[in-house]
Amino acid sequence: MMSFSQKITVWSLVWFSIITLSLPTLVVLGASLTAGNMVAFPPQGLSLQWYEKIALARDLQQAFLRSLIVAGICTLVAVPVGTLAGLALSRFRLRFTTAIQVYLLLPFTVPLIGSGIGLMLVFGEWHVLGSLWPVGMACAVINLPFIIWSVSSSAVLLDPDLELAAQNCGAGRVQTFLHVTLPAVMPGVITGGLLMFILAMNEFLVSLLLTDARIVTLPVLIYNSIRSIITPDLAAVSVVFIAIALAAIWLLDKLVGLEIFLKSK
Amino acid sequence: MPNPSPEFRYPLHWRLMDAVERIADLVWPRRLSRHTGWLFIAPALLLVGLLVLGLIQIADASLRTLDTSTFLMSEDWSTENYRKALSSSTYLTVAWRSLSAAVLTTVLTLILAFPYAWALVRVKKAWIRKALLITLFLPFFIGQVVRAYGWLIILGNSGMVNEALSLVGVTPMRLLFNYGAVVFGLVQYMLPFAVLLLVPALTAIPEETETAAGSLGASWPRILWHVLLPMAKPGLIGAGLVVFTLTLTDFAVPAMLGGGGQDFIANAIYDQFFRTADQGLGSALALILVAAGSVLVGLVFMIFGAGTLAMGGRK
Repeated sequence: MMSFSQKITVWSLVWFSIITLSLPTLVVLGASLTAGNMVAFPPQGLSLQWYEKIALARDLQQAFLRSLIVAGICTLVAVPVGTLAGLALSRFRLRFTTAIQVYLLLPFTVPLIGSGIGLMLVFGEWHVLGSLWPVGMACAVINLPFIIWSVSSSAVLLDPDLELAAQNCGAGRVQTFLHVTLPAVMPGVITGGLLMFILAMNEFLVSLLLTDARIVTLPVLIYNSIRSIITPDLAAVSVVFIAIALAAIWLLDKLVGLEIFLKSK
Repeated sequence: MPNPSPEFRYPLHWRLMDAVERIADLVWPRRLSRHTGWLFIAPALLLVGLLVLGLIQIADASLRTLDTSTFLMSEDWSTENYRKALSSSTYLTVAWRSLSAAVLTTVLTLILAFPYAWALVRVKKAWIRKALLITLFLPFFIGQVVRAYGWLIILGNSGMVNEALSLVGVTPMRLLFNYGAVVFGLVQYMLPFAVLLLVPALTAIPEETETAAGSLGASWPRILWHVLLPMAKPGLIGAGLVVFTLTLTDFAVPAMLGGGGQDFIANAIYDQFFRTADQGLGSALALILVAAGSVLVGLVFMIFGAGTLAMGGRK
């Protein structure tokens, strides 16, 4: 039973959050559709001319492709590594668990600027800066805790007796893993994998540190192109990110359901 | 047991699986089974090892000073950079700005995130819950640069707000490139993190406790203060900690919404590396920031436990 004053307080705060959260997205969408040469209010009519313009811009296309490659590498590296680590932490008795947890939380506790510069120095020492795979690897390192969390929170829900039952029925270790353990943690793996892709796609600071002018990713390109006068072509590029985000949310909802984030630990 | 006829073959995927099992037995014999956990965790340990290597590199660079005549790093180690970093009033100002903004952002974010998370958990209609979730995830998945770009369009000198104000005769105001704009941008950026970390803690509180407190005559502010907030403490700590450290070390929001005049520590470090090209001083600053962040996280863990940040289920 909510009293009237409680209803007003809660929902006015929630509405304030909703507006703050959505406003930039909506404005970027609106700005990308303007017919004028500048983003102005009130808008000067609708047109798709800016989309046409960005579709023909080669540097944007290549930056977009590079972002996709970086996100792909990050996902390919982080999903197996994170899944196994999540399983190890939740389903095996390891010694020094606390120490391992603290160690694996490092990417999260070390500030991004620190991780970024450290990896920049390491990759610089190895003379591999200037290609894309170090950027993907770096994204995998800094985002690893997210997939470990996601997998281990699925893994604790699996009854260990199910694995024993499978082995009792003659399943080998690989078979048990593939047919019992893995399907049980699949929601966590999918959620984590999507997160890895999206976070790497959007990663800005580490990309800024690890890329040079020849291999900029799309977020870095947008950042570099922002000038004091705001032109709608960047808004149209930003809509690409909005579309990807919407697709990811749709996938997440379809495959595991958004409500997975609402369960208690 | 009857012998299978000679032309009888097991299904292909059975034989395939048997082969895989035999390979597994060869590569990782059963007697090693109790170490399987270590086998599983090894790749992650190696991957994070890259980061440790990076920290070692930073530590090494931080002990070398820049020779301003040759622009080479010194061969021998000294603590000169740390002295410079800790005694400079510029960095003190920057550090103070980041710290105060982090505190302010954390408080504001939690005030907004708590009712949002509560509404998510308690709302009855499924479609409202889904709408709230989508509203939360969309900005989370869009990334900092695009969101900051949105705010530039809205708040810029010739942005939407100022254009709208000029229509009713108000002269344009400078809404961007100040402390308030940076904090506002940070709150918006941190809100999804905070809500997602609060939700598990709130889900764990049965609705009946609130009803019980209410039926015993407690008003809702009292329920909030004496029941909800104490029970949600682990979540609040986890969320507050994440928001605080992410804000303290943020780069993009101060860079884009602060317009160069509102630099945080991360921006100062970046400038040392890419503007002044003094790697040593930049590394010293970075290491101080890493240390400060780690000490902070460690302290909170020791006092309150890992809260919602613990990995794996075993307690």
